[in-house]
Amino acid sequence: MFIPDYYEFCARVKTVSGHTVLEKIPSYLEKFNAKRPMIISDKGVSDAGLIKLVTGAIEGSNVNVQSIIDNVPADSDYKIVNKITKEYRQKNCDAIIAVGGGSPMDTAKGVNILASLGGNNLLDYKGAGAVKKKLKPLIAIPTTAGTGSEVTLVAVIADHEKQVKMSFTSDFLLPDVAILDSRMTKTLPPFITAPTAMDAMTHAIEAYTCLAKNPLSDATALTAIRLISENILNVVKNPDDLEGRLALANGAILAGMAFSNSMVGVIHNLGHATGGVCGAPHGVCMSLLLPYGLEYNFHKTTHLTAELLLPLAGVDVYALTKPEDRAEKTIAFIRKLNQDLHTATGGRHARFLKEILDRDGNMMVPREKLPDIARTAMGDGAKVYNPEELDYDDNMMVLEHAWEGTPLDREKVKKGKKKYI
Amino acid sequence: MRVTQCNEIIPGRKIFKRIYIAIMLFVVGRAIRAAAVHDKIVKKEFADLPDDFAFSLGVLPNGPHLVMGKDKKGKIKFLGMNPVGKRTTLKMAIKNIEAAILVFTFQESTAVAFAHDRFVVDGDLSDALAVVRILDIVEVYLLPKFIAAMAVKRYPEHSEMSLARKYIGRILIYARVVLGF
Repeated sequence: MFIPDYYEFCARVKTVSGHTVLEKIPSYLEKFNAKRPMIISDKGVSDAGLIKLVTGAIEGSNVNVQSIIDNVPADSDYKIVNKITKEYRQKNCDAIIAVGGGSPMDTAKGVNILASLGGNNLLDYKGAGAVKKKLKPLIAIPTTAGTGSEVTLVAVIADHEKQVKMSFTSDFLLPDVAILDSRMTKTLPPFITAPTAMDAMTHAIEAYTCLAKNPLSDATALTAIRLISENILNVVKNPDDLEGRLALANGAILAGMAFSNSMVGVIHNLGHATGGVCGAPHGVCMSLLLPYGLEYNFHKTTHLTAELLLPLAGVDVYALTKPEDRAEKTIAFIRKLNQDLHTATGGRHARFLKEILDRDGNMMVPREKLPDIARTAMGDGAKVYNPEELDYDDNMMVLEHAWEGTPLDREKVKKGKKKYI
Repeated sequence: MRVTQCNEIIPGRKIFKRIYIAIMLFVVGRAIRAAAVHDKIVKKEFADLPDDFAFSLGVLPNGPHLVMGKDKKGKIKFLGMNPVGKRTTLKMAIKNIEAAILVFTFQESTAVAFAHDRFVVDGDLSDALAVVRILDIVEVYLLPKFIAAMAVKRYPEHSEMSLARKYIGRILIYARVVLGF
């Protein structure tokens, strides 16, 4: 097993998991001496009645929710963060409860930076070292089992004018408490459950196969892959399966711990850029780019890709597959999983970039946008952690194949000689 | 013994390692400035960075640093080895002298050093990535292939960097490093 000469791992989020654990919120706020939280969420979560579920769990305690922001857009940007922070200050709030998927979570983290450290513009805190002290209490309640934002030290927030997604990174961005309550993901429709869970799967797989992997991130990644693989298809077909929902939520948080500490590579590099340029949903980009990323790094990570077959497909398939065939089988397994999810969602789970459609049925990633995506990806931090170098031409090659839906021609991948992991 | 009577513990100075890193940073600084003139990709990387871009690259806690930045005309300047009092938009630092030795003896590539948490970055991450790309190109110019291949993830093929470009660039960059212009 690979052990780096040096690594850091931090996963200090208090995690509460169960079928009825929202009721713990007041006791945790009390521990932080906070009584006036702001809830940050989005319209979908609110319309599904999940905010009422949270406020209902708080009712009757000493906690008074001062403000509910339930209109964070899917692709939140720094201007929205600046605006919500004003409201936070006006209402004299003293804590944040983030309810939702990646966008409300990351927005809440952004608001927490500004509300705690002062200032009116989030861009002043951009980068890896700008947040240097403890922020206000933040309780994270995920409603999608995917992003892992509830345990990550990063907030990804867009700058729509520049068409980029910016990373804000600091140990202080870790929420104080993560609440995993199966009721919160029960209403998530299958066509969203599928890509969000595949997003978590991608976190775990990239954490396991990229340069900053370490024994602790490996342990969390492998358990995450197993939990997700065992439950994803069943939950998509049976959305009311609360046990399966809780398993996916646990898989997502474990994957979050893994990638927050070992980072990600080519799949996130291209996925972030695709989201930034075209507004394509992050989870969808992750799930369809996953097999292509593994193919791109194949020559450097064959042994690691082979090891993934065990948590993905189970002990029988692993044992029955020849060692030299396991890496190929891993990639084939993921392609088949995407196909099965496509079928189970009535074709709504995209398998290729050209299949990503907006609400009106329009293609979100036109082929002529691929050069813009490839260029934008050059400025994304994830490329540093990828085992193989990535330049503009490499990005274009992967994107072309992922758009068309054809496997990579691995002979054409330019190969560096040194293996690091 | 009273606390006030305790001698302050000063960490080992590791003087030779510090001198080595200082020399390497000095050479790299001058080489970056030269590459910004002679290499079209380095030139473009700098052109794409903000007009007020300036960065420091050094070793914590009190190790050597280099400072570079754009002047008003967009020309790349080597601003010396002392970051104190100099305005920088990006600070990149290696956490300790031992980690710096791994990077500057090319036992560990810049990207792997990033992955192993050896760097602290204060500033825009995309700017830091541009600096990493520039460093990779400069290392290819400065070092023989068998060493540079360890310092970068993938040594450029002839289709990416022709032999003529590499060797002419190497001569011009070394000339500027030695002569200091």
